[in-house]
Amino acid sequence: MTVIFVITIPPLIFPLHCWLHLRPMATINSRPARLQIIAFRPSPSSPPNLSLFLLKIQIMKPVSHLFPCFYFFFAVFLPVVSTSASTFPVNIWPKPTTISWPSPAASPLSPSFTILSSHPSHPHLSAAISRYQNLLLSERHRPLVPPSLPYCSVPLSSLSISISNPSAPLHHAADESHSLSVSLTGLATLSAATPWGAIRGLESFSQLVWASESRLLVAAGINITDRPLFPHRGLLLDTSRNFIPVEDILRTVRAMGYNKMNVLHWHITDTQSFPILLPSVPELAVKGSYGPKMQYSPEDVRRIVGYAMSYGVRVMPEIDVPGHTGSWAEAYPEIVTCANKFWAPAGKPALAAEPGTGQLNPLNPKTYDTVSAVFRDTADLFPEPFFHGGADEINAACWEEDSSIADFVSGGSTLDQLLQIFISKTHPLITGDLNRTAVYWEDVILSPTVKIPPSTIPKENTVMQTWNNGPNNTKILAAMGYRVIVSSWDFYYLDCGHGGWVGNDGRYDVLATGGDGGSWCAPFKTWQRVYDYDITEGLTEEERRMVIGGEVAMWTEQVDGSVVDGRVWPRASAMAESLWSGNRGEDGKKRYAEATDRLNEWRQRMVGRGIGAEPIQPRWCAGHPRMCNLVE
Amino acid sequence: MKPVSHLFPCFYFFFFFAVFLPVVSPSASTFPVNIWPKPTTISWPSPAASPLSPSFTILSSHPSHPHLSAAISRYQNLLLSERHRPLVPPSLPSCSVPLSSLSLSISNPSAPLHHAADESHSLSVSLTGLATLAAATPWGAIRGLESFSQLVWASESRLLVAAGINITDRPLFPHRGLLLDTSRNFIPVEDILRTVRAMGYNKMNVLHWHITDSQSFPILLPSVPELAVKGSYGPEMQYSPEDVRRIVGYAMSYGVRVMPEIDAPGHTGSWAEAYPEIVTCANKFWAPAGKPALAADPGTGQLNPLIPETYDVVRAVFRDIAELFPEPFFHGGADEVNTACWEDDGSIAAFISGGGTHDELLRTFISKTHPFITADLNRTAVYWEDVVLGPAVKVPPSTIPKESAVMQTWNNGPNNTKILAGMGYRVIVSSWDFYYLDCGYGGWYGNDSQYDSLTPGGDGGSWCSPFKTWQRVYDYDITEGLTEEEAALVVGGEVAMWTAQVDGVVLDGRVWPRASAMAESMWSGNRGHDGKKRYAEATDRLNEWRRRMVGRGIAAEPIQPLWCAKHPSLCNFVE
Repeated sequence: MTVIFVITIPPLIFPLHCWLHLRPMATINSRPARLQIIAFRPSPSSPPNLSLFLLKIQIMKPVSHLFPCFYFFFAVFLPVVSTSASTFPVNIWPKPTTISWPSPAASPLSPSFTILSSHPSHPHLSAAISRYQNLLLSERHRPLVPPSLPYCSVPLSSLSISISNPSAPLHHAADESHSLSVSLTGLATLSAATPWGAIRGLESFSQLVWASESRLLVAAGINITDRPLFPHRGLLLDTSRNFIPVEDILRTVRAMGYNKMNVLHWHITDTQSFPILLPSVPELAVKGSYGPKMQYSPEDVRRIVGYAMSYGVRVMPEIDVPGHTGSWAEAYPEIVTCANKFWAPAGKPALAAEPGTGQLNPLNPKTYDTVSAVFRDTADLFPEPFFHGGADEINAACWEEDSSIADFVSGGSTLDQLLQIFISKTHPLITGDLNRTAVYWEDVILSPTVKIPPSTIPKENTVMQTWNNGPNNTKILAAMGYRVIVSSWDFYYLDCGHGGWVGNDGRYDVLATGGDGGSWCAPFKTWQRVYDYDITEGLTEEERRMVIGGEVAMWTEQVDGSVVDGRVWPRASAMAESLWSGNRGEDGKKRYAEATDRLNEWRQRMVGRGIGAEPIQPRWCAGHPRMCNLVE
Repeated sequence: MKPVSHLFPCFYFFFFFAVFLPVVSPSASTFPVNIWPKPTTISWPSPAASPLSPSFTILSSHPSHPHLSAAISRYQNLLLSERHRPLVPPSLPSCSVPLSSLSLSISNPSAPLHHAADESHSLSVSLTGLATLAAATPWGAIRGLESFSQLVWASESRLLVAAGINITDRPLFPHRGLLLDTSRNFIPVEDILRTVRAMGYNKMNVLHWHITDSQSFPILLPSVPELAVKGSYGPEMQYSPEDVRRIVGYAMSYGVRVMPEIDAPGHTGSWAEAYPEIVTCANKFWAPAGKPALAADPGTGQLNPLIPETYDVVRAVFRDIAELFPEPFFHGGADEVNTACWEDDGSIAAFISGGGTHDELLRTFISKTHPFITADLNRTAVYWEDVVLGPAVKVPPSTIPKESAVMQTWNNGPNNTKILAGMGYRVIVSSWDFYYLDCGYGGWYGNDSQYDSLTPGGDGGSWCSPFKTWQRVYDYDITEGLTEEEAALVVGGEVAMWTAQVDGVVLDGRVWPRASAMAESMWSGNRGHDGKKRYAEATDRLNEWRRRMVGRGIAAEPIQPLWCAKHPSLCNFVE
């Protein structure tokens, strides 16, 4: 039975919010309707007298405050898309740990919406608040699959922030937990232990907002309680192979904030260039950078560090030593062995892992003058308590090129001892003088060619970063008692699969196909490969606790500011979710299938925010959920 | 003595050059002038540089030619506004007399921009302030203008141009194309225009516009608007007739032909949104468990050759397309016809069980549409090789006349090229092993458990892995193993940008500079004077060219650390 009610209501007797909730009725019925005349047809399953009942309620103003989305409940009878996992109309990336949304609804975002801070004097939080205030009112994100939700009448007018520990510094393991509630009655609250948790909550809130027609809507009646699984969720960005302009770094930091990532591991220097201008040793950049326009001034660094703090992102500097230092030779040739030589001389051991040779000479006292000046200046510029000292890929042949080292070796000493000389002079500088936690690449203790005994590097003030052998090395390092950052190249290296970049390479001049295409770490790591990686796979409970998180790595041999966005995003987003709330659903199974639709949507929002993320699928797939799956 | 300085305007230079200054010699790898693709013949007996006069003017003998005029005014602007600083600054003597003009002469100004249009030209820049460009056609002149623009660079506050140089140039292959798919993901008009511009910079001359496919039908056609209204990704993701005319006209001013492809009868799922009755198996799951896949990729649907309504729609589409695209080549697709998708339809299943074959079905379709393309619309038909080589469904070559059809190969490398040329067809080469720019990015299917393993390696999920590096593209000899006669049938090649994982946001970096590698290989070849592959010296030149493209707003990806460009040969694999 179909009953059609036509109701004419004089406008003056209704408060504004009632007008607003009449609108969806017209929408749901797919009929043109003016505000004064509402025609609707209850579904056959709904009691025919319900609409009359609703009309009575409507006129009673106090009740409409108690049930501001009342009409919406009625709409449950109508064919509203159910809020299953894959069509979830609200799509926070990374997916929060806990969402409670018993009666999904949407409120208009008031044009005068305001974020109220309990700590207006916190510089980084204030910057974040004013940024989100702007973003919320200016972003026009149109979901690929528009949510079909009942509307509440009362616009959301404010979000109130409360923070229990406002002075918490942005350090490793800072408390990022927060709770966010958006009521049905126009108010939202965000409570967090620290400003950094509040910034995470603001980001979640911003992703609850979307555009529909000319209005901004926000999910209402929702409660989110959230905190990350891992405290270290990073992106390594190499600015030495190719220079990355400051604007591109800032945009990358911004995207990290959107993804709740919290550590920019800035691999500042390497053999190819020394782009950071350090006050005590300016010649390193003056001579070792790619040119005056491709240097980071102290002001640039402070700008990046400050900007990152307002996104809750720590900037961890890496000065890679004693290997990967060819660029130092432009200013200080006397402290660098084998600089500017052809990297792979025929019939001899290679002098470096890739073109660009040069290693600091641990036997030369001047080496430590320079290193100490560099470390000191870097620590001055970066307040971050973690300081990455590199120590990867020490090349024996490059050291042996130097006659003093050749003498040292022929005198019965070993290269391991040579490395130990270097580390025993520089590690205390980092941890003692500069009061930092040292971070090293795993090579320093696991390298097959040159390494030192773990006993020489204290566990308390040192973190190891693994990049080889997948979960095996993670286990070895954790078992040694080190805290571990996981960057296994098989899963987390974003540069892989792009073929080789060395010149005069005859391997491509063949008609046979296949293989790795010239990339040492092929294949390309898809977002799913990144997403599915369990970084504590195979570890004991105790070892697991030593894994503080992971970093995807953007080495830039074939990347610069022109293409960095598409290479990093949305693949870094995959790690961001995996380390925030995991890669498994409530059933304990990997959730890559449902994550696909959400990531399509999230990529769309990132692009709208100016991040040139690459598409992961034809757009058709987002509009046809599951049809692009490999398995039905 | 004043007259002497006219005869020897760069006299001072010779003096310094010869005696005092450590000038880098213009060897292949440090060639201070870097035209990409490398010209066939350059004569530059005494390398020198002249200032480009701030009042520099291009003088055209045919100012009324609309496309040439557009090109001239564009280059006039580019020449005076571009500030390209070479990675390795040339160290050249300066001539005193600024270059004030470039005079064009064209012997056949009315030549149309068709296949095999004469692109030859000669460019001379004197030491005395004048430059000349002679070409057979406006299209050759546009190529010469591009070369001229690449002779100019910025040094301190001045613009310099190579002087005392003579270039005679023409392409090896008349068809140097880029396939751009706008169906998997939509590519906005501005991104297509920028891509065309970059093609012009690289002397490429065919944009193969793969307009429609199963995923979307983005072109709004006047006779059958519902195809786009219902089959596109939305109103803001459609190409209006005005958009198309704008793209075609813009491309002509770059000497770029725009060849439309309407892929049929396969790859037509999107047609079902407006005309469900003519499409078999539309909107089904592509790879049903335990059954043959209904399509090569997600997105199913194929035109039904047995019903007359199919041809009404196809003819309307083809006719509208031919009106929008003046280009004489018309690509009819015909790749990857899927038998299971056809058999999903009751009428076709009955046809098959009645003794009919899939080949006959395809023949029905081709025999009704091929004459329409070639006779009614007066176009040369281009098809994917599948139509005659398809392992599942194909037609006998006798069905498709050699005179009015060109075949595009994408499988089996040089083998299929040889087979098609052996059949007597003209061939466009797009072998996926060398020319597919989408390969190596992993897979894009959802719910794919292959990544959930701790033993990586393999193809990473990409069916056509690995990634094709620029060197892979560059080294491919598209006439490898062919007889003289067969080689003569190879009209050229196309790199292919299928867009399952690409849209306007990342398009530039995926296409450039890898398409540049094919552009040079097809223009002047991939070998040096010694007959050996020249990929090694091309590396330094491509670093430089990529930099100039970025300066021109094309977001090409870097091929090496910048360090390599500044340390020639130190980044080589072999010393």
